[in-house]
Amino acid sequence: MTGPASELILFQVGPRTFAAVVHDAIRIGSVRDVPPEELVLETALGTPSACARGIVVASHDEAVELTLVVDQVLGTRSVPEEQVQPLPAFAAACLTSGAVTGFVLLDGDPLLLVDLPTLVRERATAVPA
Amino acid sequence: MSTRDPFDLPQKPKARAAAPRAAARKRNTAVGADAARIAVVLRGFAEGNYDGRVDPDAIDDPGLRAIAEAVNGAASAVVEDLRQAHQRVQIVTAGIDEAIEAMIRLVIQGDLSGSLRAGSTDTALTPLIAGIGQVMETLKKFVTETREAALQLSTSSAEVLAAATQNESSTSAQASAIHETTATMEELKGASHQIAENAQMVAAIAEQTLSGAKQGEGAIKAFMGSMEKVRHNAVEVDDAIAKLSKRVERIGTVVEVIDEIADRSDLLALNAALEGAKAGEAGRGFSIVAAEMRRLAENVLESTKEIKNLITEIREATHAAKEASDGNKREASEGEKLGGNAMASVSGILSGIQETSDAARVIHLATQQQRTATEQVVQSMSEIEEVTRQAQAGSKQATGAASELTKLAERLAELVKRFKIE
Repeated sequence: MTGPASELILFQVGPRTFAAVVHDAIRIGSVRDVPPEELVLETALGTPSACARGIVVASHDEAVELTLVVDQVLGTRSVPEEQVQPLPAFAAACLTSGAVTGFVLLDGDPLLLVDLPTLVRERATAVPA
Repeated sequence: MSTRDPFDLPQKPKARAAAPRAAARKRNTAVGADAARIAVVLRGFAEGNYDGRVDPDAIDDPGLRAIAEAVNGAASAVVEDLRQAHQRVQIVTAGIDEAIEAMIRLVIQGDLSGSLRAGSTDTALTPLIAGIGQVMETLKKFVTETREAALQLSTSSAEVLAAATQNESSTSAQASAIHETTATMEELKGASHQIAENAQMVAAIAEQTLSGAKQGEGAIKAFMGSMEKVRHNAVEVDDAIAKLSKRVERIGTVVEVIDEIADRSDLLALNAALEGAKAGEAGRGFSIVAAEMRRLAENVLESTKEIKNLITEIREATHAAKEASDGNKREASEGEKLGGNAMASVSGILSGIQETSDAARVIHLATQQQRTATEQVVQSMSEIEEVTRQAQAGSKQATGAASELTKLAERLAELVKRFKIE
């Protein structure tokens, strides 16, 4: 890889794999170590079944950390930027969530690129703590 | 006393005179001739001829003449007496013939009711007639007694015939019964023989059964020993399983720790990779190390997962082994109980078989004695049958004789009836 690249974190919710930029994640932790009120289970990505990992994400005010519960964190990948595409306007209009910002082609398969702070914010807005 | 011939006259002496002697000789010669004639007549008398007579006129000697006359008179008297006697004899003989004829006629006619009437009244016949009367009376009594006896004989012979017939029938029935009894005893003899053989066989079988039951008792004891060993082994297996289960649980705990550590390592590696990625090109090496660490952690997690699976399988197997061991203990305890029950049953069977064997032996002995007794009874029955056969033959003969006796009695009664006594 010679050109600029995007560092992405890959994770699974249910049977699907999603991608997010590494800077959206503060750290990766264990779900059992997090108080329940800081966990985000149901999102626009779906509901995880194994609930094995939690991706700690800073909320909108930066003072509060929320943990997105996922089934598995697959790791980080460095992807050339040309493989990262913004979401088409039509697709963005069809989606109810603003957390999906684009998609990335990884090994030929398109993965949705998710904005984690937006995702947990939508959750926090939908369900008051 | 000497006898003297009356015609032997004394001789005179020769000396008296010769002439007279001649005259005397002449006279003597005449006397001698007369005497001879008298002697001839007397010899005829002596021979039963009383027809001869002596002419007295032809006899010179007076003495001889008197003798001749006396001889003639005596002869006439004798002839008269003989005539009278002969006449009387004829009368008596006719009376006797008449009496005998009358008696014979009465006897032939069988009429003894009347008395004999003789035509002659000669007193000489009186004893005869009286004797014949007595004979008739005696005969009448005899006939009367004979008639009564014949009647009694007929009655008795009829009774004897009936008794003989009954006896013959009874003897025949007895012979038949004895024959059937003998046949039955023969069958009983065979049956006794068969029973004796069967009893002997039963005794032998009982002995074999006793031996087998004793072997069974030994086998049950060995079985109970094996059951005890099985139960003991099951207890040991149970202890081993419990220890194994504890070890497995301990392994599970360790695996959980390892898994936790691996999970923490994976999480740490993920965060390291995340930080490396955030650092950009500067954190590339760090990210590579973190990725490698994460693979190791994932390998450990994969291994611990397999170990957990194995532990789960071991737990299931241990649980199954525990249940099997508990089952073995229960089965062993049940087997011991069953063995105890079987031992008690076999002990009872042994006792019963022993009693059966003793009883069979006693039965065998008893049946042998019975067979011997039956053979003796059969022999006795054969002898009784032979005696009964002889008695039957004798009874038939007695019946025949009684029948003949009855006929004879009837014949005698018929004959006696011919005599009329009243």
